[in-house]
Amino acid sequence: MTRAAPTTLRPTTPKEVRDAVLDTPGRLAITGAGTARHWAGRPAGVDATLDLSGLSGVIAHNPGDMTVSVHAGTPLRALQDELAAHGQRLALDAARVARGATVGGLVATADAGPSALVYGGMRDLVIGATTVLADGTMVRSGGHVIKNVAGYDVAKLMHGSYGTFGPLVEVVLRLHPAPRATTCVAVDGPVDRAAEHVLRLMASPLEPIAVEWLSGEPGRLLVRLEGGERTLPARVARLVELLGDGAREVDGAAAWDAHAALTAGSGAAPDAAVVRIGCAPRTLAPLIGRLPATAVTAGLATGVATVTVPATAVPEVHDTVAAAGGTSVLRDRPASAEVPAWGPAPSSLALLRAVKTRLDPDARFAPGRFDPWM
Amino acid sequence: MPLDAPIRAEFVALLGDQDVIDDPVRTRTYECDGLTGNRVVPELVLLPRTADDVAGCVRICARHRIPFVARGAGTGLSGGALPVADGVVIGLNRLNRVLEVDPENRRAVLEPGVTNLEITAAAAPHGLYFAPDPSSQQVCTIGGNVAENSGGAHCLKYGFTTNHVLSVEVVLPDGSLVTLGSDSAEQQGPDLRGVFLGSEGTLGVVTKVTVRLLRTPEVMRTLLADFPSVAAGGQVVSDIVAAGIVPAAVEMMDALAIEAAEGATGAGYSLDTPAALVVELDGTVEECDEQFAQVKEICDRHGCTRLHVAGSPAERAKIWRGRKAAFAAVGRISPDYIVQDGVVPRTRLAEVLERIEQMGSEAGLRVANVFHAGDGNLHPLVLFSAAAGETERAEELSSAIAELCVEMGGSLSGEHGIGTDKACSMPKMFGEEDLAVMDRLRSAFDPDRICNPGKLLPTPRLCGEKPGHYRPHPLEEAGLIERL
Repeated sequence: MTRAAPTTLRPTTPKEVRDAVLDTPGRLAITGAGTARHWAGRPAGVDATLDLSGLSGVIAHNPGDMTVSVHAGTPLRALQDELAAHGQRLALDAARVARGATVGGLVATADAGPSALVYGGMRDLVIGATTVLADGTMVRSGGHVIKNVAGYDVAKLMHGSYGTFGPLVEVVLRLHPAPRATTCVAVDGPVDRAAEHVLRLMASPLEPIAVEWLSGEPGRLLVRLEGGERTLPARVARLVELLGDGAREVDGAAAWDAHAALTAGSGAAPDAAVVRIGCAPRTLAPLIGRLPATAVTAGLATGVATVTVPATAVPEVHDTVAAAGGTSVLRDRPASAEVPAWGPAPSSLALLRAVKTRLDPDARFAPGRFDPWM
Repeated sequence: MPLDAPIRAEFVALLGDQDVIDDPVRTRTYECDGLTGNRVVPELVLLPRTADDVAGCVRICARHRIPFVARGAGTGLSGGALPVADGVVIGLNRLNRVLEVDPENRRAVLEPGVTNLEITAAAAPHGLYFAPDPSSQQVCTIGGNVAENSGGAHCLKYGFTTNHVLSVEVVLPDGSLVTLGSDSAEQQGPDLRGVFLGSEGTLGVVTKVTVRLLRTPEVMRTLLADFPSVAAGGQVVSDIVAAGIVPAAVEMMDALAIEAAEGATGAGYSLDTPAALVVELDGTVEECDEQFAQVKEICDRHGCTRLHVAGSPAERAKIWRGRKAAFAAVGRISPDYIVQDGVVPRTRLAEVLERIEQMGSEAGLRVANVFHAGDGNLHPLVLFSAAAGETERAEELSSAIAELCVEMGGSLSGEHGIGTDKACSMPKMFGEEDLAVMDRLRSAFDPDRICNPGKLLPTPRLCGEKPGHYRPHPLEEAGLIERL
């Protein structure tokens, strides 16, 4: 069958999303702001694209309960601006938020930033969701309470699904108070030295919010602290003393912007690819040393890193990470590169396929995203 | 289908005669969990010692389509571990080893029968602890915590069990052994681990759990504050949160709960106060001191009649002993009681408590309240006397309270699960389509519907059907309804 050029549908209400799913035959790719368009497997054999960027806006913000429900296409950056007026925030600082990433997209790609060390990723912040399935069913789970064990946590299933079960249309999130004061302490040095700092730091009572190492000459460890305006200086002093080695307070905004740029692979060679990896935290520094990385951001306390490597080395990265007991997924890559998006399949692959079959029996959604797994 | 001798022989060949229980007196030990009003004696009880044994048991069940129910300490309060009459119970208490404590990676690997408190005990020498701590933590097991996503008082600040479990090794209902989740927070593909957490034993049997450990905070400050009304206490909770403070725990007890807890433990609660709050802050010395002063000021502002600050770890432990013993202690003031578990948005606490009081008086029954005020997780205790014929009225009141929570924009359960107790209330919270999708999800894990049948969802679609293999509903047989 010859395929016509894929159509793009831009629904602006949940009902329009449902209608679009029901009225459009064939396979659907799902997109929001497009900031993760090239992540994971490439959409393949798509008949139409469902663009959710028009499905945007806050549905209900309950400041007293610290919950908010939003349409899935809402850019997180815009949401944070609204929440800030109430002294609240969604405690998620993924690198691509500044580039307009949407709430639904951040859930679907299981993205997270440095503060995942304390607050977790989207999976830990999502307390409810509504999704449209291939047969037009709108499934809702969770709600506006942070503690909830009623029914299966379907929102978790959507986390990391890359749209493969259907488009999210509504997401309910738990919020946190915005910190009164935030600061950043940096210490320069290579990754193995940084790993030793992190070991001592995590054994200390200083409660860092984020701990990330950035590659460079010689590399730099960033530590974020949050707290009260009056109390933070004393903790900074304790942190600087603990790290020693020339540790000092730096301009946090600039430091974390540099981190975000490096995580996104900005400025990398045209033939470079970006791979996200995860492993046990103490395994990370030695693992990074074995990868042909040209740029790295490494959460030495979380075990999550983003590495820029030559695209041709991606299979080797998957293998090396898997051998260390870790997981890996391809993020950005050159348009021409034909490299595997995922490492070895997990032991739960048959189960994952069974879930896909039950929810999307004709495999209409996000074809290719989990290639070659399913 | 009763389990015949050849099937029993298969279990015996796998586990040995002593670990396959069919003596009716002994199987009766497993007839219920903490929801003692519901009892079903299982046909067989299996006591495996390893994950491979568990997988072997499940494979036999799968081959013969025998329904099975996994069970830990049986402390669940929603009937989630209620046996199936013609099925087996798989008791996991013998899988009770702490397999590894890894301080550098701040994690522990556990078999499902390890108790919640044993995890923290194993981590403590390394300056670490396991944050979720249900009130029953001395006896409840991590396998059960995973099944119910039950986390207790410290969830407000530190998150729920699901946030602390990195991976679970599970035996799926076809007998295959898989791992959901991974060694890091980074996730590959849809979060099946997150779906499994809180699935109440309906998607498989946990055989190994890897949890995240946290560093023991530098300081913990605990205060006990009395208030002239539950509403005043509720306002304190709101103001603390509005001030940007996230306490490690905020617990509230009303007069009845205080009377019971104080009588049982002598924890130092005031017997003449309508409401008391336990507020705990933890963290670095600097942050904790500053926030503690703010909390005290907020308490004063709302008419606090007595404020007692724990002056030592022993005093702190005493305050918590009273709170954690509250459920059991209610037995001192009532011959029988039902523990309900519902959640409301925090801002509606005062309203819902008033409605509960009203509903209690209308039913002519007392309701004691002890709950996690910070996250809106209520635990109303409906007091009654079975001997006086009040059971049915108490059950009706208890269900009505759970459904009231949904009406208030909350949930039927915060940590005890739906089990058999509230399956029939699920349509109050979810639409038919939502439940149908949950059923589809369940069937992906368990196409033959042998894994803890009859729990969580109205089984399979309608209340009133017996758990176990599919049998036509009487209305189906009569041709009045059809299965979709």
